[in-house]
Amino acid sequence: MKFEFISNKKTTRNKRLILYAFLTILLSFFQMIGLGIIAIDGITPDLLLILTVWIALREGRFVGMLSGFFIGYFFDLISLDTPGTNALAKVIVAFIAGMLYKEGKENLILGSFRFLIYVFACAVINNMIYFTLRIKLVDFTFQAFILKYALAFSFYTTVFAIFPMLFASSTKGDRGF
Amino acid sequence: MKSFIDFVAKFKEYITLTALIVICFSSISLGNKFQLGGFRTVIVGSVGWLQSVIDWVPNPVALKSENRAVRELNLYLSSELIRSRKSIIENEKLKNMLSLRDTTKMELLPADVIGETIVELRKYVTINKGIDDGIAEGMAARTDAGLVGWIVAVNKVYSLIELINNSNVKVSTKIQRNSINGIIEWKGDKEFNMINVPDSYDMKVGDILLTSNYSNKYPADIPVGRITVAEHKVGSLFKIVKIAPLVDFSSLEQVFVISYLPNPERMGLIKEMEAKLKTRKSK
Repeated sequence: MKFEFISNKKTTRNKRLILYAFLTILLSFFQMIGLGIIAIDGITPDLLLILTVWIALREGRFVGMLSGFFIGYFFDLISLDTPGTNALAKVIVAFIAGMLYKEGKENLILGSFRFLIYVFACAVINNMIYFTLRIKLVDFTFQAFILKYALAFSFYTTVFAIFPMLFASSTKGDRGF
Repeated sequence: MKSFIDFVAKFKEYITLTALIVICFSSISLGNKFQLGGFRTVIVGSVGWLQSVIDWVPNPVALKSENRAVRELNLYLSSELIRSRKSIIENEKLKNMLSLRDTTKMELLPADVIGETIVELRKYVTINKGIDDGIAEGMAARTDAGLVGWIVAVNKVYSLIELINNSNVKVSTKIQRNSINGIIEWKGDKEFNMINVPDSYDMKVGDILLTSNYSNKYPADIPVGRITVAEHKVGSLFKIVKIAPLVDFSSLEQVFVISYLPNPERMGLIKEMEAKLKTRKSK
C-alpha cells in the first residue's frame, strides 16, 4: 500500500517534470518573439525566472537548481547569449528560492502573496547577477544600476507572476499542479 | 566508502550547486566558441517561422513612432534634396578630376522585418530573406537613414540581425567633417556613447558619424548617428560624447542588407595576429 502511494507520487512528479520541460521550451520561444510588443523602454518580464522560482518552491531546492540550470542554459543557447550567463543566475536563484520550500505547503505558498514577494526578491538577485556579468559597472552609477536593472526589470517580472499565483490559488483545495 | 556516500548524500545540494556554478563559469569563459552552427540555423528557422505567423498583430506604438519618423524624414529630405543635387554635380566633377573609382555602389538586398527579439539588453530583428536570397552571415544591414546592424545567423528563408543598440556591439566610426575615428557603444540608454575620446579631439554637437574604414564588420561610410553631447569631463583627459542614432529602431519595417563581406584575407590576418598575441601573453 505504501509502495503504491510512493509510486503514484513519483508518476505525478515525473508528469510535472515533463510539463516543466514543455513549459521551458514554450516560454523560451515566447520570451524570444512575443515580448517585443509589451516591452517598456526595453524592459521585459523574465518569464523563465518565474518558472524557475515556481519549480524551486514546488519541487524543492535540488530539483529547482537542476531545473534552473537547464532552463537558463537552454535560453542562453536559443537567445545566442554567452552560454552560462542565464544558467548561473537561475541556478543561484533556484538555490535561494529552494530554501523557502516547505514540504506539504507548496500550493499554499504558490497561491499566496508570498509567492510574489519571493519572485520579486529572486528577480532582483537574478538581475544583479546577470547584469553584473553583462554590463561594465563603471558606465553606471550604483543608483541607476539598481533602479533600472535590479528594480524595474524585477517589478515587471513580478507583475507577470500574478497569473501563476492566481492559478495556484484556484487549485489550493485540490492536490494541485 | 560508506562515510563518503553519506557525506555526498548529506551535502548533495551544496555539491550540486558548486558543480553547476563551475560549469557555468567554464561555459562563460569559453564564450560563444562552441555554439553549434546547425543548432543556430534551427533556432533562426523556428523563430523566423513563429514571428512570420504572428506578424499580422499590429503594434500601435511602432506605427505612431514610424509616422512621426517619416514626417520628420520628409521634411529633412526635401531640404537635403536641393543640396544633394548640387553636391552630385560637384562630386562628379571632382571625381573625374581625381580619377577616383565609385565605391558607394554596393548591391543592396531589400527585406521586410517580420519580428523583433529583445533579450535583456540585446536586440535582434528577424527578416524574411535568407541564404536563398543571397544573404550570408556577417553582412551589414541599413535603412535609408543609416546603419541597423549585421547578420548573426541565417538559414534558407530567414536571417537574424543583431542591432547596433545592443550591449554586445561596438561600432568603429569616424566623424564625417574631419574623419576623426572613435568607437561607439550602447549601454541601454537612448543614446550611444563614444568611448576614450581625448579632450583635444575636435568634435561638435551636430557632427554626423559614419562607419569607419577601420571596421571589420561594416562597410565604410554608412551613416550611424549625430553627436548630441560633446563636453569636457571634469577631472578626466577624455570627453563625454553622446550620439543619437539616425535609425529609429522602434519602427523598423524594411531594411537593406548590404551584399558585402569583410575581406577574408584581412580577417585572417587579424585572427593570426590575435593568436600570436595570446601565445605571447601565455608565455
